[in-house]
Order: sequence, then C-alpha cells, then structure tokens
Amino acid sequence: MRAYECVYILDASLDESTVNEKAGRFGEIITSRGGEVHLVDQWGKRKLAYPIKKRFEGAYTLMKFTGGNDILAELNRVFRFDDAVLRHMIIVEEHPQPAETPASTSETVEE
Amino acid sequence: MAGKSPAKRKKKKEKKSTNKPCRFCVDKIEIDYKNEVLMRRYITDRGKITPRRITGTCAKHQRELAQAIKRARMIALIPFVKIYYR
Repeated sequence: MRAYECVYILDASLDESTVNEKAGRFGEIITSRGGEVHLVDQWGKRKLAYPIKKRFEGAYTLMKFTGGNDILAELNRVFRFDDAVLRHMIIVEEHPQPAETPASTSETVEE
Repeated sequence: MAGKSPAKRKKKKEKKSTNKPCRFCVDKIEIDYKNEVLMRRYITDRGKITPRRITGTCAKHQRELAQAIKRARMIALIPFVKIYYR
C-alpha cells in the first residue's frame, strides 16, 4: 500500500455532469481494487501552458489515494483509452498526511 | 594592461562572495509542483530552470525544485519552451 497523487486533464468542452461522472468512474476503479480515495479536488477549467491534442484549455482534477500497484496499471490503461482525457500523471506522494486535511497548496493554485 | 588584470580578478572574487540564503531553507516553503506561481518564479522567460547560482537555492532544494518543475511541465501548468507567443 502506498499513497499516490494523480492529476488528469479532461477536455474543457465537457459539461460538469460528465466531468463528475468520470471522476466517479475513476474513483470506482480504485475502490474496487482495495484502494481508498482520500481527496478529489476539481480545479476547474484552466488555460494550458501549451496545446495538448490541439486544445488550449483543460479541466483539471487532482485525486489522492492509497492502494496497491495493480490500481496504477488499470488506471493508466483507462486513462489512455479515454479520449476525453488529454493528459494524466500519477506520482508517489512524498509526504502523505495521515489525517485528512484540505491541501493548502491547491488553494494557492486556484488564485 | 597591467592595471587591468587585478581589477578583473577583484570582480570575480566579488561575484563568488555574494551569498544569498536559500529561500526554501529560510522560509520553510514546501516545494509543490501544483503551486504554479512558485514554479514560475524559478524558470526563465524562456521556460528553462533557473540555475541556483542565480537564485541562491541550496543543492537539496534545487533538486526538489527541478523535479517539481518537470512535473508541472508534464501537466501543462508551465511551458516546456515559450515559443507560442512569438
């Protein structure tokens, strides 16, 4: 079991319900494999620093979870086959917080 | 010529002796790739990572910073190269 952090960028033209539905689906992949989702933080639409798949905007979502590495393989596979996902990144969280606290860092990003 | 060279040497010495403290050590700022404002402060206007001889960051934090900047680039928070605005 390890703590992971995942950021994925969805197509900005999707409406809110689809974005939420996708977040739920990705969360389910984690929970169905014995993982645990600690935080889902939607940053909303942001301008990309460079175009990805010819899009200049993206809807960012941050997800923090714990689980085994079989989750990563499945998550990577799902992200890759989903056309709405422009980019995703999963990293090992260096300083996982034991208690659930809303990350102060994500607040500064939203400014 | 003879008068010039010692002056040059002096300049070099002065450059070396300027000691800026590492901001991350002093203020205990957490390096986070999601903090776009912080990441942007440590890249040049070309999008390159600023060397630590300019920013005064210590070796430990420069390593962390470099990792964080590369991650921020991956998720398009900061650019790899800034060429789109030309």
